[in-house]
Amino acid sequence: MTESAREFDPETAHPMVKEVMERSQQNLLACYQCRRCAAGCPVGEETGYITPDRLIRMIILGDRENALNNQLVWRCVSCYTCGTRCPNDIQTARITDTIKKIAKEAHLDPLKPKVAHFHDTFVNSGIRWGRLNEMEFMSFFELKNTLKDLKRMKFKAIYDELMSKTKLGLRMARRKRMHMGFQSAKGRGEIKRLYKKTKKKTV
Amino acid sequence: MDIGYYPGCTLHASSSLYDVQSRRIFNEVGINLKEIEDWNCCGATSAGKVDDFLAVAMPARNIGIAEADGFSEIVIPCSACYSRTLVVQKRLEDDPLLKNQINTELAKKIQGTIKVSSILEVLLTTVASGELAEKVSQKLKGLKPACYYGCMQTRFPYKVPVPDDVENPQGMETVLKVLGAQSLDWNYKTDCCGASAAVNDEEAALNLMTRIMKDAVARGANCFVVTCPMCQLNMDSYQDKICQKHEIKERLPVYFITEMVGLAMGVSVEELQIDRHFVDGSELLKELNII
Ligand code: SF4
Ligand code: SF4
Repeated sequence: MTESAREFDPETAHPMVKEVMERSQQNLLACYQCRRCAAGCPVGEETGYITPDRLIRMIILGDRENALNNQLVWRCVSCYTCGTRCPNDIQTARITDTIKKIAKEAHLDPLKPKVAHFHDTFVNSGIRWGRLNEMEFMSFFELKNTLKDLKRMKFKAIYDELMSKTKLGLRMARRKRMHMGFQSAKGRGEIKRLYKKTKKKTV
Repeated sequence: MDIGYYPGCTLHASSSLYDVQSRRIFNEVGINLKEIEDWNCCGATSAGKVDDFLAVAMPARNIGIAEADGFSEIVIPCSACYSRTLVVQKRLEDDPLLKNQINTELAKKIQGTIKVSSILEVLLTTVASGELAEKVSQKLKGLKPACYYGCMQTRFPYKVPVPDDVENPQGMETVLKVLGAQSLDWNYKTDCCGASAAVNDEEAALNLMTRIMKDAVARGANCFVVTCPMCQLNMDSYQDKICQKHEIKERLPVYFITEMVGLAMGVSVEELQIDRHFVDGSELLKELNII
């Protein structure tokens, strides 16, 4: 069966690429599909068909559904290899970051919930005390994952996750790599105020 | 000489050994690392995925503090903190409006003139001045390090001046040469270890680490040398797991560059806290009569 080429509708395509370009500050229209980015992307094995050039194409074509929910957006490790090698200076990591935010605002379920939880929890922990407390952060992160699995009655997944994290924890503790102390920054209110004040108007 | 110092969260927690080593070795060459006051978390790569403004505001406050403390240079050993801070400094320089907006809430306003340095940049000045060579009392003969830079030392999501070759950096090799170790040429020196994916997307991260490990072994390396605490923890703590899965019998200690410098200066394994590694770091050193 041959697949028909995607129909291009400028009405729907335009707002999508415009939004991504503004927010990511990347000139997606400069992409000439040379695929240098794809050749160097280290998570290519995991993302399969979706390489940086394909993601850019989807956005330009206004394929919102696929652009907001694909393996590359959620598995990009922000290594900046694609952007460093791109002859047109396009940093796809800044595009995948932007898409994550757009997807969140649209209340879409992330393809990789653990990735989304990780970054949310990290930032929350970081601004709550001004410094990241690894133990607090990991506890919240694991709690969120476990609750999600609990809701779906995935008991085996919960068991596996807790076992693997406990094992890692014990190994960390044995080498005194687990920090039980608490750290904070007194001036953390400055960051919180900035965050609140501009949250409404920032992109 | 005093120099501003931003340890970041991990150097005060799981990688506090890197903090101890950094202070110790710089002290030896007459550089006093002075921790800036009341610094905050830089937001790492997570902040940019959650909120753009926050990703700028978090490191910005630290720049303001360092400048108010009167430093003309700040050294940041953690590669992620270094990258974030360097990028934000450049973004604020390019966007005075954003800078003003952030300055309104900061007790210590940002000027933006401070030099943000990686640990390698500062080490390389001691190489250039000959001070490092003077302090070497124990040559690291027999070590065959694969210098592993990872992502954050040479690749940035924003146009900043990069102090080393982007695809084939030589900073660690240059330092190690002074210490008497001949580093190897290999393919994966700037590849990604997966960083936080080790925790949130283990499958992807383990694949990345496996490739790095396989190439280092194939080249005949007997250890890794790194600057990034995230790379260190990943390559060290997951090594057993990936090697078991892929039937790799070698185990390579993952040393911080500061451990190499410290050992060459005659500092003990205990004082450097090399005993806090997952893959034993002392055995190889004994075999080679370095300790
Ligand atoms: S390297 Fe740049 S121009 Fe080439 S396909 Fe990738 S994004 Fe497009
Ligand atoms: S930054 Fe993301 S998309 Fe680009 S090469 Fe790295 S993993 Fe691939």
